[in-house]
Amino acid sequence: MSKPADLVQGTLDLLLLKILALQPLHGWAISLRLRSLSSDVLQVSEGSLYPALHKLEQEGWILAEWKQTENNRRAKFYALTRLGRRQLEAEAANWQRLSAAISYLVQLSEA
Amino acid sequence: MRLEHWRFTAPLRLRSIFRRGRVEDEMDEELRFHLEHKIEEGIAEGLSPSEARRQALAAMGGLEQRKEEIRDARRVHWLTDFVDDVRYATRSLRRTPWLSAFIVVTIAVGIGMTATPLSMLDALIFRPYPVPHPGRVVTLVSTTRDEAYGDFSHAEYLDLRDHTKSYDGVVASSTLLPVGFVARPGETPTVRGGQLVSGNYFRVLGVDPQIGRAFRDDEDQAPGRDAVVVLAPDFWRRDLGADPAAVGRTIRLNGADFTVIGVAPESFPGMYIFSRPDFYVPLAMAKTFSTNPEKSFFADRDDRELAVRARLKPGVSMLEARNELTTLARNLAREYPKSNRDRGAAVHTQFEMRTRGNDLNWKFGVIFTILALAVLLVACTNVAGLLLSRVRSRTREIAVRLAVGAGRSRLIRMLLTESLVLAILGGLAGVAVAYAGIHFMASLSIPAELPVKIPFRLDTRVLLATVALSLLSALACGLAPALQSTRTNLVSGLKSSEASDVERGPRRLRGRSALVVAQIAMSLMLLTAAFLMYRGFHNTLLDRMTIGQDARDHILMTRFDPRLVQYDAEQTRRFYRLLGERARQIPGVHSAAFTQDPPLALDDPGVVAFVPDGFVMPREREAFTSLMDSIDEGYFETLGIPILRGRGILATDTADSPRVAVVNEHFARHYWPNGDAVGKRLRLDGANGTPVEIVGVAQTMKYRDTFDRGIDFVYMPFSQHPAARMVLLLRTDGDPLQLLPPVRGVVHGLDANMPMLETRTYADLYRYATVEGPGMAIKLVGTLGIVGLLLAIAGLYGLVAYNVSRRTREIGIRIAIGAKPADVIRLVMGKGLALVAAGTAIGLALGFGLERLMNAMLFNAGGTDVMVYLMLVPAMVLVTMLAAYLPARKATRIPPTLALRCE
Repeated sequence: MSKPADLVQGTLDLLLLKILALQPLHGWAISLRLRSLSSDVLQVSEGSLYPALHKLEQEGWILAEWKQTENNRRAKFYALTRLGRRQLEAEAANWQRLSAAISYLVQLSEA
Repeated sequence: MRLEHWRFTAPLRLRSIFRRGRVEDEMDEELRFHLEHKIEEGIAEGLSPSEARRQALAAMGGLEQRKEEIRDARRVHWLTDFVDDVRYATRSLRRTPWLSAFIVVTIAVGIGMTATPLSMLDALIFRPYPVPHPGRVVTLVSTTRDEAYGDFSHAEYLDLRDHTKSYDGVVASSTLLPVGFVARPGETPTVRGGQLVSGNYFRVLGVDPQIGRAFRDDEDQAPGRDAVVVLAPDFWRRDLGADPAAVGRTIRLNGADFTVIGVAPESFPGMYIFSRPDFYVPLAMAKTFSTNPEKSFFADRDDRELAVRARLKPGVSMLEARNELTTLARNLAREYPKSNRDRGAAVHTQFEMRTRGNDLNWKFGVIFTILALAVLLVACTNVAGLLLSRVRSRTREIAVRLAVGAGRSRLIRMLLTESLVLAILGGLAGVAVAYAGIHFMASLSIPAELPVKIPFRLDTRVLLATVALSLLSALACGLAPALQSTRTNLVSGLKSSEASDVERGPRRLRGRSALVVAQIAMSLMLLTAAFLMYRGFHNTLLDRMTIGQDARDHILMTRFDPRLVQYDAEQTRRFYRLLGERARQIPGVHSAAFTQDPPLALDDPGVVAFVPDGFVMPREREAFTSLMDSIDEGYFETLGIPILRGRGILATDTADSPRVAVVNEHFARHYWPNGDAVGKRLRLDGANGTPVEIVGVAQTMKYRDTFDRGIDFVYMPFSQHPAARMVLLLRTDGDPLQLLPPVRGVVHGLDANMPMLETRTYADLYRYATVEGPGMAIKLVGTLGIVGLLLAIAGLYGLVAYNVSRRTREIGIRIAIGAKPADVIRLVMGKGLALVAAGTAIGLALGFGLERLMNAMLFNAGGTDVMVYLMLVPAMVLVTMLAAYLPARKATRIPPTLALRCE
């Protein structure tokens, strides 16, 4: 499976869960949201988006549903499940600890 | 957590498997939706539609790869891949229908031929007793110097039951006794098999009756008091119409009334392998049944007629049980020196009892299984060879797959799936072959008084073993070709339709050559076994120790047991005297005779203990034993057994005259190697027993079965040594069955209620003992051998033909530059000949080993049967050479032009 080399490993899952926690979205909207939210800092290739989404779905963290979009087209909307919310909390906490540890390390003065 | 996880994911997995098309469509639609938006976005930014489309696709980074990744995310690709593989495999196998069919048939034959002896082995050795926790049920046996698996007497059984602590109950049962059964008064009794069992039999074994009740422990306490009977399910259905009201009814057994108290469950057909009791009665009713008339069943400690089994207590080991029993046996020997001197006891598991040294059946089973596995091995090697050449012609296909990025493990899985499909088809067909084989074995009719069940069947365990064998053979056949073909050199693989064997060829061919050598060796071994069996059985009939053809074709036999109609000793004596007199008067009857058992009958002959007069017995031995028969004055004449010295039994040897005996020559030489046995005396039972004078020496015959190699035998006059069960032999000139109506008339005139048991011609009995039983064994092994040989021929032919096709161009060039046909044949066949030689040598070695084994296990003979090898080896070499010659000759006809064009 191609890895999003431009992202810290595992963070794509976290980002997707977080975005979907705000509201259910379809794939295209998710890609737009990713682009706008992270501006140019986090580059997510559109190719890795869908495999990641399907993986989350198979884990039972998000639920897919076919619905009409605002301009009346059928699209696959993803929404967070209860399991997904729990996973998001776990991964977010994990991320906090990790980033705190790394920023502490980075700020150590080279005495 | 796990549960909730599955609530979300299980429907998805199922959907991925069963609604695969739908799921794929949705994936396409989702991606299309994304792309369309992306393209619209590009156009809005001012790109041309085609440029926008190109960029959109590029942003995805390879649409098809993404799709594969998404499919992988579904986590069921191993299964969907497998389904794809199976679909692909069936399609690809259908492209070569004849090859595929040949492979399936080969596997079917291999599997089917293995399942047949496996079912035999299962029935003879492994099938557990039909009771709960069968593994805890052990058998107690009485042992002496001469007998390792003896029965116990009633008194000994009570000692075992009351003085052992290792068991949750000790039960006793008699052998299957022929019993005269009358459903309605006035009818002639029919013979059924009954078993005397201890009162605790059903309780200890854990068998609950389907209706009514089982025996109570106190129902075998008082001799003759409790006339109750538990019916077997078969008997209840067949003779009483499965009537639920049968419980409480009275049935007549051997002329006495018994109350039916219960019916055993369908799951309990009894503890025997080959027969099923029709009913069970308590031990205390022994007097009504055919126990030894010369002994007192309840009092005599040496009237040993009971098999004893026990249920081991949880936590008690076999060792503890053995030690306890040894001590008990030692105490009994001290307490009752007369009956128990030098008598020990042993505990055996079911497995030990079934694989005991003195039982031939399971040994046949083991030998068949070994031979059948050899055939399966040959079949597998052949299939592996065929798959190898099949895969080889697909080198280019495989190279292309590797080149476009298929993983090696994925390809191996694909190729293995093909052999799996073949193996499963072969396994299914193999089950059909197995059914046919088992049907063939069950078709053997055994001329016994009580019906003998051939218990071989394809039960779940045998079927499971068969399935396992199929899967194993799939792996064995498919793995090597799969591994080898995926190691292809891509460049050369892509360039030619067939791999060039220039540098890697010899190694690959070495594998196939080894297969062919193994096949030739195996089939030579199998054919050797078949021939050895044939010659072994045949030889057993050549030594003139069986009844001559003239006699056996003209003898009618019928058995009587007056105890079935409650005759006492005097009535029995009178009945036989009158029967003999009247039978001799039947027109057409040359001679008539009484015997307890004619030679080669299925029942075990009687045994007599004796001391030759004047012999000083070794200290630890009280008497010698020999097989014996009670006969009358017509016996030797009727069966045509020559008297070599002295005289036979005469009508003047009566109950009141001095006691006499005739011994066989083996006996005479055994005890009087340097003198004449005639005139010598034996003392029965011990040094102080009744004296009996030897008045004649008869020719040694085969008494028990055709494997007998000369054993001691003693004949005593029926008048001086009476027995209840006797066989009447009538000899005539024509068809013995013509005597049947007049004999019936005579018996009816004496007693309308007297059943005639086992009425048949002696030729029937002889045919079973000498032809049908052994014949079946020969046919089975012979079939194995011939199938093995056919497989080996196909394998060798295939190898040489393949070699020719591989070297077509080379041969063409050789012919073009002047090679003669003989040169070409030498070139092509040389290798084949080497293989034949190697295979034959190995096969010979295996055959010698097998001959040792068979002689030790079956024929009690040593030595090597040179004739077998002299006949087999040249035939084998000739046939296999032919298999190599045919493709070689074809090679000489290769037109050089075609050869040169062939690349």
